[in-house]
Amino acid sequence: MWTYEKKLQYPVKIKNPNPKLAQVIISQLGGPDGELAASMRYLHQRYSMPYREVTGILTDVGTEELAHLEMVAAILYQLTRNLSEQEIEGSPFATYFVDHTTGLYPVAASGVPFDMKYVGVKGDVIADLNEDLAAEQKARVTYDNILRLTDDPDVRDPIKYLRQRELVHYQRFGDALRIAQDNLDSKNFYAFNPSFDRKTK
Amino acid sequence: MNRMQRNDNVGNARNCMDRLDLLRAIDFAIQETVLYLDAYPHSQEALTYYHQLIKQREEIMTHYEQSCGPITMYGNRSKTSWDWISEPWPWEPSAN
Repeated sequence: MWTYEKKLQYPVKIKNPNPKLAQVIISQLGGPDGELAASMRYLHQRYSMPYREVTGILTDVGTEELAHLEMVAAILYQLTRNLSEQEIEGSPFATYFVDHTTGLYPVAASGVPFDMKYVGVKGDVIADLNEDLAAEQKARVTYDNILRLTDDPDVRDPIKYLRQRELVHYQRFGDALRIAQDNLDSKNFYAFNPSFDRKTK
Repeated sequence: MNRMQRNDNVGNARNCMDRLDLLRAIDFAIQETVLYLDAYPHSQEALTYYHQLIKQREEIMTHYEQSCGPITMYGNRSKTSWDWISEPWPWEPSAN
């Protein structure tokens, strides 16, 4: 089970609202490589993992992603406070505003609502961990792209923190893949060994 | 080393299951009280009950984590082993 901690993992304090910027950052809320997809991916993959270290990493990274989801939400909330109609009209944010006002609805920057199709759960330790390694890199690129689109230091600071966490998670998933491969049959150097056909230890 | 192996007799393993049941019971009581307090934050009666429950939980939690393993990532009491991953996961039949 989970309990809520009433604090952000890293502080978010943005002075200037910017709906245009919110309209792109929202991809890390409900986009293909966003924090919601990340959390759902890891927290659902963990049940079929045959190694305890890997289950632990997926549980703890998946939980941290929920904290990141909250940080992205805090950034979006602060970027869309106290907007005038003039600030919304003619901004790319207007198409989102007409459906959701300034409520936080998980969508990609393109406007496509969050979809579990972004999440891969193959039930195979090698397939799933390679998916996770790619996912962390894709999220890192998305944060790089966000950083290319804004000069605001108040936004860049927490975005840089989130980007850094993607790098750390990539390292831990690399450890997880190594642990998994070390556990494969020594003759199996092509790294297949379907989890389904193996007895769990 | 899992909870079953650590306690070399069935009686102690049973003891951990009983402690877990107790923790679940107190946590459920806290959950219900918190939901009530969210809606009625000025209820002194509910707030007093909340504090009684929290005090009981601290005791139950300490006993549980010391002899049966961590409940949260902050609760690995052992200084020599990382029990967070060695204890059964909650979805495993042996954890229930």
